[in-house]
Amino acid sequence: MKTKFSGILTLLLAFVVQVSFAQTTVSGTVTEENGPLPGANVIIKGTSTGTQTDFDGNYSIQASPTDVLVFSFVGFSSQEVTVGNQSTINVSLAGDNALDEVIVTAQGIKREKKALGYAVSEIASEAIKENPQTDVARILSGKASGVQITSQSGLAGSATNVIIRGLSSFSQSNQALFIVDGVPFDSSTNSNDSFQDGNNGSSRFLDLDPNNIESVNVLKGLAASTLYGSAGRNGVILITTKAGSAKGNANKKAEISITQSLFMSEIASLPDYQDQYGGGFDQAFGWFFSNWGPNFSPNGASGYLNDPSGSIAEDGTLAHPYSTASFSADFPEFQGARYEWRPYDSVEQFFRTGVTSSTSINARGGNGDVNYNMNFGHTDESGFTPGNNLVRNALSIGGNAKLSNNFRVAGTLNWSRTNFKTPPVASSTGSGTSGSGSSVFGDLFYTPRSIDILGLPFENPTDGSSTYYRQNNSIQHPLWTVKNTRFSQETNRIFGSANVFYDLNDDLVLNYRFGLDTYSENNVNSQNRGGIDGTVATQSGIYQTWNNTNKIYDHFLSLSGQYDLSESIGFAFNVGATSKFEEFRQNGISSAGQNVFGVLAHFNFDNFNFIEDFVQRNVVGVFAQTSFDYKNLLFVELAARTDWVSNLSVENRNITYPSGSISFIPTQVWSGLKGENGGGINYLKVRAGYGTSAGFETRYPVAQTLALSTQTFQDASGANVVTNTTSTRLGNPDLKPERVDEVEVGIESRFINNRVSLDLSAYSRKTQDLIVDQPLDPSTGFTTTSTNIGEIQTKGIEADLGIGIIQSEDPEGFNWDVNVNFTTFTSEVTDLGNGDTEEIVFAGFTNLGNAAREGETLGVMVGTTIARDDSGNFLIDSAGDYIVDNENGIIGDPIPDFVTNISNTFRYKNFNLGFQFNYTQGGDIYSQTIATLLGRGLTTDTENRENTYILPGVLEDGTPNSIQINNSDYYFGNVFTGPSELQVFDATVVRLQELSFGYSFPERFLEKTPFGNLSITVRGNNLWYDAPNTPDGVNFDPNVAGLGVGNGSGFDYLNGPSAKQYGFSINATF
Amino acid sequence: MQLSKKLIMKKQFINLRFILGLFLLIGIASCETIELDLTEDPLAITPDSADAQLLTNQIQLDFVFFAETAGEFGGDVTRIGQMAGRQYLAAYGPTTFDRLWQRAYRDILSDIRIMTPLAEESGLSKNVGIGQFVEAYVLVTLVDLFGDVPYSEALDPENLNPMADSGEVLYERAIELLNLAIVNFNDDVAPDPDNDFYYDGNFQNWVKAANSLKMKIYASSRLVDDSAVTSFNSIVASGDFITSTSEDMQFTFGANEVQPDTRHPEYAAQYTGQGGGDYMSNWMMDKMDTSNDPRIRYYYYRQNAVTPGADGEDPNLELLACSAAVAPDHYDGFTFCYLSNGYWGRDHGNAQGIPPDGLLKTAYGVYPVGGQFDDNSFSAISQGSGGGGAGIMPILLASTMDFLRAEIALVSNDPASAETLLQSGIEKSISKVRTFGALDADADLAGFEPTNSDVTTFVGDTVSSFVANTTEGRFNVLGEQFFISLYGNGMDAYNFYRRTGYPSTLQPNLEPSPGGFIRSMLYPQSYAATNSNASQKPDQTVRVFWDTNPVSGFPFSN
Repeated sequence: MKTKFSGILTLLLAFVVQVSFAQTTVSGTVTEENGPLPGANVIIKGTSTGTQTDFDGNYSIQASPTDVLVFSFVGFSSQEVTVGNQSTINVSLAGDNALDEVIVTAQGIKREKKALGYAVSEIASEAIKENPQTDVARILSGKASGVQITSQSGLAGSATNVIIRGLSSFSQSNQALFIVDGVPFDSSTNSNDSFQDGNNGSSRFLDLDPNNIESVNVLKGLAASTLYGSAGRNGVILITTKAGSAKGNANKKAEISITQSLFMSEIASLPDYQDQYGGGFDQAFGWFFSNWGPNFSPNGASGYLNDPSGSIAEDGTLAHPYSTASFSADFPEFQGARYEWRPYDSVEQFFRTGVTSSTSINARGGNGDVNYNMNFGHTDESGFTPGNNLVRNALSIGGNAKLSNNFRVAGTLNWSRTNFKTPPVASSTGSGTSGSGSSVFGDLFYTPRSIDILGLPFENPTDGSSTYYRQNNSIQHPLWTVKNTRFSQETNRIFGSANVFYDLNDDLVLNYRFGLDTYSENNVNSQNRGGIDGTVATQSGIYQTWNNTNKIYDHFLSLSGQYDLSESIGFAFNVGATSKFEEFRQNGISSAGQNVFGVLAHFNFDNFNFIEDFVQRNVVGVFAQTSFDYKNLLFVELAARTDWVSNLSVENRNITYPSGSISFIPTQVWSGLKGENGGGINYLKVRAGYGTSAGFETRYPVAQTLALSTQTFQDASGANVVTNTTSTRLGNPDLKPERVDEVEVGIESRFINNRVSLDLSAYSRKTQDLIVDQPLDPSTGFTTTSTNIGEIQTKGIEADLGIGIIQSEDPEGFNWDVNVNFTTFTSEVTDLGNGDTEEIVFAGFTNLGNAAREGETLGVMVGTTIARDDSGNFLIDSAGDYIVDNENGIIGDPIPDFVTNISNTFRYKNFNLGFQFNYTQGGDIYSQTIATLLGRGLTTDTENRENTYILPGVLEDGTPNSIQINNSDYYFGNVFTGPSELQVFDATVVRLQELSFGYSFPERFLEKTPFGNLSITVRGNNLWYDAPNTPDGVNFDPNVAGLGVGNGSGFDYLNGPSAKQYGFSINATF
Repeated sequence: MQLSKKLIMKKQFINLRFILGLFLLIGIASCETIELDLTEDPLAITPDSADAQLLTNQIQLDFVFFAETAGEFGGDVTRIGQMAGRQYLAAYGPTTFDRLWQRAYRDILSDIRIMTPLAEESGLSKNVGIGQFVEAYVLVTLVDLFGDVPYSEALDPENLNPMADSGEVLYERAIELLNLAIVNFNDDVAPDPDNDFYYDGNFQNWVKAANSLKMKIYASSRLVDDSAVTSFNSIVASGDFITSTSEDMQFTFGANEVQPDTRHPEYAAQYTGQGGGDYMSNWMMDKMDTSNDPRIRYYYYRQNAVTPGADGEDPNLELLACSAAVAPDHYDGFTFCYLSNGYWGRDHGNAQGIPPDGLLKTAYGVYPVGGQFDDNSFSAISQGSGGGGAGIMPILLASTMDFLRAEIALVSNDPASAETLLQSGIEKSISKVRTFGALDADADLAGFEPTNSDVTTFVGDTVSSFVANTTEGRFNVLGEQFFISLYGNGMDAYNFYRRTGYPSTLQPNLEPSPGGFIRSMLYPQSYAATNSNASQKPDQTVRVFWDTNPVSGFPFSN
């Protein structure tokens, strides 16, 4: 490893060394607004002598002082410069048509956008910086069509799902690849445990400081991402940091900019609790989980004086919950105490207003040949949940230099430290957590209105254990959880790249790039003894510390060149090889059985257990890409890549996959399309692409293993007995990579003086030989094997529409722009093997999760349903409740019908106003939050308690049901605890995703100040939403990933309240 | 810009050393990144390091958990325990049995397949025999629960969709396995296994257990196999079966709470700071309470002296919702909701939510789970209290053999032998249970343990009622007493109930029309949904091969 580090250091040092240049020819750089312009023509006027700029926009040409150089590039205004006595001529070309932009594509190759036969979405830094969200993925939400972002919850630092164009595999990761400054960036989410037992941990793109991002390009299709190999299968988020884009301009002085922002965050999804009824059941008081007790008013049918249990006195008080026998020894002070029978607004008061403060300092400069950029960011975010906090420091250095000997070097180095803390979050099914750990939300939301969370002591004064109102003390007090449980993750990360270019001649460039991404994630999961939820071990106190070390080393070597085959045909190629080494290592200790309460150190625990994991995998690939262009109106690109992977058998280790695309620009051929005065079609591009990719299994699917345990049981003397057992997994030496094919067509167009732009893409994607963790009938001796079966077909349409509704000639005039994007797709399982398997449940519980079933949407939700008779009528039992059909049935489809985002930007003088709405139509969610809040009688939806219900359906004898049930039987007995089908709701949601209002100070105000620019922006995020098809009072936010980051969707287990944020930021440059 | 011009290679000064250096750097740096053979999991051992002794340990442990789960299902449907489900069809969904199925095949039989050749190679005949015994027990239990299940095509990595064999064939196979096991147990040369969790190296007892299991098989198949009774009786005649409680086949748990948790699983679930776990069966508690059964204080621990609604207590909607309700019509003649004397359980089929009664309702006692002995202290259970979970899992008991023999005698028209065997069965059960008081060191045994005369009176009363009854009544008495003796493992009760239809005195389901009784369990989801040669049963009324009793109106309590 030393070799590599010293290598990088050498490269990094190289560009801070000033170098001198030979001055025998005229040379320079051609740039455009976004950076260097490769492929620009530099011709000596009146001759056929000329050259083209290389990939970094550099050129060099022999010329005499009287020559006039003509710099041209399609889509840009040509520029002429007389050489004179200049030896360096840098030219910046202005676009004559904003359509002809140059963008970064796979492996950092810059291409004209119009030459691309596939969709690429660009997101500018303006849309990213100064955002209340500290997580770059969440900022991207709604910014580009086809990109689906789901937050795990509103906790600061909680994980985020990033999925482009839906699922294409159900066993492999569908998370998009992050490429930062050209090199792979690990974006995993390392949770401490399953969604059920404890689902804490950030997604590692959290280590990126959004304020350090220059631009984000999203490569959605496979034709675009072939060169990334199998890693690019799920689409690619290409991030260029400011450090990575360090670009010089000899005419501009060094610049420092500072951004400071301050945002508040609050819980957005606070239920609308009713305040008429308190804890109990069937209008009788009880210290229950449920809130079906008597009214808070004394009289009336449900008044507390008519409560058959007679617990509440006429003065509206009852015996304090801690005055009873079970608590008397620990709380003598409550003996004989009375407790007021009233609503306490407990949940409302449990949450706090969080504060996020972000500071970002950026310095950039250079002379065109040597450029640098430094960025420092500091973010301190406290979430709306007590105990939740995120601190991030990020330092980023980058630069590039042109050396005298045909070498050019560039590099970036980033360091970040992200410190995330939260009380644990895990799934809850409405009566404590369902798994082995605690959850801060798991016992909170269904708190009966008559319970005073903040007023009831939560720690037993003797031993510190949790105490709460329920008479067998079987609920963990949420404040006890906040105080005594903690999950934290401190991540130190270094990532960066070193790039060396060697110009073999004017047309051929050799490029070597080394990318490094390594982090060390220090995790601590702890809970003092005395909790209620979870296992005996959790209750005895746990302290788990472990380190996750992840490394990616990425080597990339390529030779690229470009030639004009004739006057009208251009040709470029790129051949190369790349290798990627990934290693994940986990080491730690898990202790249980705390001795001294509150002391969290391993010595204070009785039992220790190991935490260890180790996975290593290499992928080596070779690739070739060629592109042709004809008269700037027809572009063809062909590419192929072969990958070898280290964890499969030799014969199945490699796979080759090609791609091709074509782009045709009718407006270049028929100029008449543009119409009079440009009022017609200003620009039209038609494109088509075919791309392929592969999916490789992770870990060791081929190996057959044997388990050994030293902790299964003890013999009569108390000594542990060592045991062997065969593996549950059948190793499969025949396992192959899965193959994905995609056809994509699209148009890109502008109309009416470029006021309206419309990009449309349609794609059809097929995944074959899916790598499936096929559940085996245990009677085979195994429960799973990795195998290749089945086929998935995904089809989708994406559209981006931009309209300049009002465009003022005056630069200070009023402008109104609207941008709309639209995404829809379907994903169907078209084959699931030879009938061996009816259903594979790949996320969630086996009897309540996301499944693959032939002929159904991939990820269809399955669970228990209401039993039906042969004519499809619901069956009702003699108590008037639904009869449950325990066999897995389809209970919902989590995929939305469509998603659309509408953003408006208004500019007038120095003011700007923007807002973005997001609308998701359809898609189902199984919501334990809704079911619990209704089932336990908490929200305003359950206020009407005098009514009776008759469930629609028939009795077992076939007669229509006429049995009346009461409110709690309906909500508790059916909606909450009945068949899973009843807990599924339509997740349609409309959301005010962003709202911002900014003012930048006019230059004339700043002349006498040190500032170059000064602006202030007020901004809000998720300020309003409505899910119209869910019960109003629950105020449920469907943007929640109850199963965590992965392939599961459409489930909520009381684990994801969402956040709203608002505040301001100031940006100043010096 | 002519093509010709472009393709002329310019003479250039190439810094060869630098290029070489660059490639060297790439070479060194990529050594570990181009290694393409990383197929073995570095954190796992490979199958060639399998050890017959370590596998035998695991097989024995998985066996007890298998038997425990099966025994609980069997007990819950026969009112030994409490079943929560108003519809027999829905009471146990297919996923309920996934773990049991996995335990049987994936864990136990798969390990036996690997252990056996290794043990044979090393001359470990007794290990082989244990494997054969366990395999036979597992097969028989699977057939009793589900009917036809895979066996001959099972456990073959080349066949991922094994076909089921008929239950009848599997019963025959079990007998064969037991015969082989007996030969292996009698191999005096072979060393004892490292650990014998059942008989601590007493292989004469293993032989008795194997013969007893054969007796159970013959008893079960007597409706379809004319020679079964003869085969049964020939083992009886040999005397080489479990006749004394000291020969009982049982697994003893420990009191260690974590790493590993060696406690009885039911104790671990119930003896917590909040209580919890299963509800006790109202039918069985009532039966024992009203008949002055001397085992009741060992079986049940009352945390509270009274139950809401009972003995003049006010109903309590919070803690026992049904205590203010009226018994359904079809409960005429049965207890409903609450019992006297603080016995606080649930009726058959009651599937209501769980109120905060964990530290009030009646808990498992000291037998067999290792909980608390009921000495009228009426205090809340807690983690570690009583026997700390160091109870037992009964698998084949001497009393069971007597009850089976009594059944055979009754059907063979020999009520006199049946009477003797009934008495002997009850006495063995009681004497076994009485030894458990010592497990709860804190209990006031002296004050509350039954006296010998209590026992004599109880046995005498029961036997007299047997004698005084008609055949049907005798079957009821036999069934009731058999069921009570099977507390902790209800599989044999489930078989008896389906075989004879008795007792007809069991509390019916709270639901007046619960559907037909569970004549066999639905197939596990993991079998029905993943094996292309498997399909789910139409419903729970499908009978196993030895059950030739009427489809409806049977058993008599349902």
